[in-house]
Amino acid sequence: MDTLRFSVLKEDLAALDKLLFGSVVLLIFWGIACIFSAGSGSAGRGGEYAIRQLSWGVFSCMAYVLVVGIGYRQFMDWAYPIYGVTLLLLFATMLAAPRVKGAQSWFSLGFIRFQPSEFAKISLTLVLAKFLSRYPPLSPKPFLGGLGVGMPALLLVLAQPDLGSALVYIVIIFSALFVAGTPFKYLGSILGLGASLLPFGWFYLKEFQKMRLLVFLDPTRDPLGAGYNAIQSRIAVGSGSVWGKGFLQGLQSKLRFLPEPHTDFIFSVYAEEFGFWGSSLLLFVFGIIFTRIVAAGMKSRDIQGKLIVAGVTAWIWFQMFESIGMSIGLMPITGLPLPFLSYGGSSLLSIAIALGLTGSVYAGAAKRYK
Amino acid sequence: MLEIRDLLDARLKALLYGILVTLAILFTGLYFFQVIHADKYVRLAYGNRLRLIRFSPPRGEIYDRNGVPLAVNETTFSIMGYPLDLDKSDMLPHLSRLLSDHGIPMSVEDLEKTIKKQRWAPYRVIRLVPNLTMAQMAELVADPEFPNQLFPMPVWRRIYPAGSLAANITGYVGEISENELRDSRPGDYVGGDLVGKGGIERYYEERLRGAAGEEAIEVDAKGRKVRTIDSRASGKGQDIRLTLDMGAQKLATELLSEYKGAIVVMDVKTGAVLVLASSPTYDNNPLAWGVSAKEWQEITEDKDKPMLDRSISGVYPPASTFKALVALAALEENVVTPSTTFFCSGALKLPSRTFRCWKRSGHGNVNLTGALQNSCDVYFYQVGMKLGIDRLLKWGKKFGLGTPTGIDLPGESGGNAAGPEWKKERFKENWYQGDTINYSIGQGFLLLTPLQIARLYAAVANGGHLVTPHVASMNFQPPTEIGLLPEKLAVVQKGLDYVVSRGTGARAGRFGITVAGKTGTAQNSHGLDHAVFAGYAPADNPQYVAVAMVEAGEHGSSVASPIVGEILAHILSHPAESYDAQEN
Repeated sequence: MDTLRFSVLKEDLAALDKLLFGSVVLLIFWGIACIFSAGSGSAGRGGEYAIRQLSWGVFSCMAYVLVVGIGYRQFMDWAYPIYGVTLLLLFATMLAAPRVKGAQSWFSLGFIRFQPSEFAKISLTLVLAKFLSRYPPLSPKPFLGGLGVGMPALLLVLAQPDLGSALVYIVIIFSALFVAGTPFKYLGSILGLGASLLPFGWFYLKEFQKMRLLVFLDPTRDPLGAGYNAIQSRIAVGSGSVWGKGFLQGLQSKLRFLPEPHTDFIFSVYAEEFGFWGSSLLLFVFGIIFTRIVAAGMKSRDIQGKLIVAGVTAWIWFQMFESIGMSIGLMPITGLPLPFLSYGGSSLLSIAIALGLTGSVYAGAAKRYK
Repeated sequence: MLEIRDLLDARLKALLYGILVTLAILFTGLYFFQVIHADKYVRLAYGNRLRLIRFSPPRGEIYDRNGVPLAVNETTFSIMGYPLDLDKSDMLPHLSRLLSDHGIPMSVEDLEKTIKKQRWAPYRVIRLVPNLTMAQMAELVADPEFPNQLFPMPVWRRIYPAGSLAANITGYVGEISENELRDSRPGDYVGGDLVGKGGIERYYEERLRGAAGEEAIEVDAKGRKVRTIDSRASGKGQDIRLTLDMGAQKLATELLSEYKGAIVVMDVKTGAVLVLASSPTYDNNPLAWGVSAKEWQEITEDKDKPMLDRSISGVYPPASTFKALVALAALEENVVTPSTTFFCSGALKLPSRTFRCWKRSGHGNVNLTGALQNSCDVYFYQVGMKLGIDRLLKWGKKFGLGTPTGIDLPGESGGNAAGPEWKKERFKENWYQGDTINYSIGQGFLLLTPLQIARLYAAVANGGHLVTPHVASMNFQPPTEIGLLPEKLAVVQKGLDYVVSRGTGARAGRFGITVAGKTGTAQNSHGLDHAVFAGYAPADNPQYVAVAMVEAGEHGSSVASPIVGEILAHILSHPAESYDAQEN
């Protein structure tokens, strides 16, 4: 039995998408280099951060292999229980988590702290794939059902309040519905409804969230506080110019003009040191990653597989777009990590698990039709 | 089924195309910032003309219960400058020369050290020279040599009007250390900030410190201010009103001046601390201004330990004052009744060892009140043996012995009220009956702080409520119930009454008030015995409890009891108006 399982795993791993895997590993190493650089200013904790991120990277790779070995079908069987546990964890976080920078998104588990909101992205993707493959959202009832399935996670994360993760959840839910074949008139009406509710949402936002949005519209509104980050990040990216200042030569992050350069503003550090050619290369690698993940979905004959791919793609895409967009002022500041590059174990591990799922979808499709 | 798969594939493809379009948007955006407008941002980055100034907020002030100031602020001036300007080669030698011309010794190395400590970002202002008076500052600014990149800034300095009289309570402030800075919440402090280092200043740091103000200014190439971009006013810290009575505190310090020791006075019902004197003491004013390493060493290495607050951190054998608790435990556990008598021949002879009473000729037949009144040791040896160590420790625990009382001051000790298990672990020895006998007269391994003794007597006086001692009036916490039977408590109270009205503590009753309490003489293996007295007044309607611990005072009856009598008389004749109204 064990040898059988092992040979299945070996077969699965052999069938994996090498280009995708290589691109991801490249980005993780790139990220570690940036984390080292970001932390090598006067605070001098860059080495420590880099080593911790490296060990998270290794750990994430093992998680990836493990998930591929288990196979996404197994996860689909557990989709509802996993989702239930995640909702409980999100609820517990809301009640008990210590406050980090005003938002309660951390959950301490003895020696490691993790963010349930990160792992909820996986279980949300799984549960949507399960529900929408069983009840295709071609008529109003299953469409509303799909929305209803995603709503508890969204509301819990909004209550933390973690606006950034909430936006990711919205994008995941919307993309899963879109790819599952929801008619455009439903999608249009949900967009319209969302737009009309937006002004009411304003009153719900916390003071610092309102400030971030106002500052997005006018960075000089609060140059000491929220607007300061936006201005300094733009200076960092812009001053990188075409060729960049060179690895470890970025001034904005070293002199601590940039806040939290190793997490939220990692792209600013990267763009300052590697310039426009480096940024373009990074976008290109992200382009490869998205193309390859979607290819897994196209290749698979399984609707569930396609829907998993839709959720994972949308999730990684939104975080990338938001993180890079905010560093040049195209998007408001929300504090979302840049996938693969930002410092943070929860984020890296959850994305590795998600990629394990899409890898398993890809391997499954390759095997069946050999 | 086939059609829906095709639909899904079409949608997936659409998703991918959408994503690639957003990548193109980002690419365009980056091209815009990093290629087309790169010059502008490079200029902004290198010639960053933004400067931030931080205004320290005035700290909250500290007052005693009658509004007597204990910690207030005074304006002084600092010379400030920016790292960007200070990095210019001749700036520091020039400044050092200028300062010494005006009688302020400050070497280039001193300045460099100051800068290094506070350097955080090149646009953040640094305090170069602190604590200048208005006159010094005016003279410096008037000097044409004064560099125009530097500027004066008013700062608050901490003054302690009561100085050494209450240094153990107010504590002092000092410049934040690198470790404290690292452990603080980001944004709360910067190098050079003052933080509480001891006493109330440290315990209530969060409340006292206030919120720093900030100003962002744009400067020209010479570092002169062009305009204010943004500013945020600083907010004063919250004031703290203490329960301390400075009049009584001063009297207590005077009474202790010839001795080492401590005096604690507390409201028996609320745990509000009126006096917390420790001798010898120190002046906290120089510490707040920054003392040299040598001066600091002198204070911390003084063998009399002036910075040790003996009232909350000093531990002593409670000696005979502990008999009140042994008596209570014995009554509650029905080991004795008020009429039980033991015969005191002057000593208790056990096969292994003989335990003497302090009165060699013996007390004859004594009951509980008589044993308290005359402090008969043999009576309590007998009671202790009957009670046993476990029950004795259980009652000690009920009165909070062995753990800190929870007073709102840092560095409190919990004393030691541990038993057989502790002894086994610490000394690898079994617990002997002799250990229990020693405990029953408050000697042996038993160690309490004066504050713990005061809390014990407060509970005896107030009918069995365990109070939480506090010095800040807002920190009152409701007492907890110990669960004592009133008629048993009354027996002990009567015994304590007899101690002063006709027994060993008579000298406490010579100040025009009725006092009930207990004397004690704590054996000291290092020298003369310590004298202790714990008592409350008025005896029939207790309001305040006082404990005097006098190191090397030899006899509780002659040295410690008159101190307690005098201080309680002073407090009862000088009632505090404002405070009682606040809390009751």
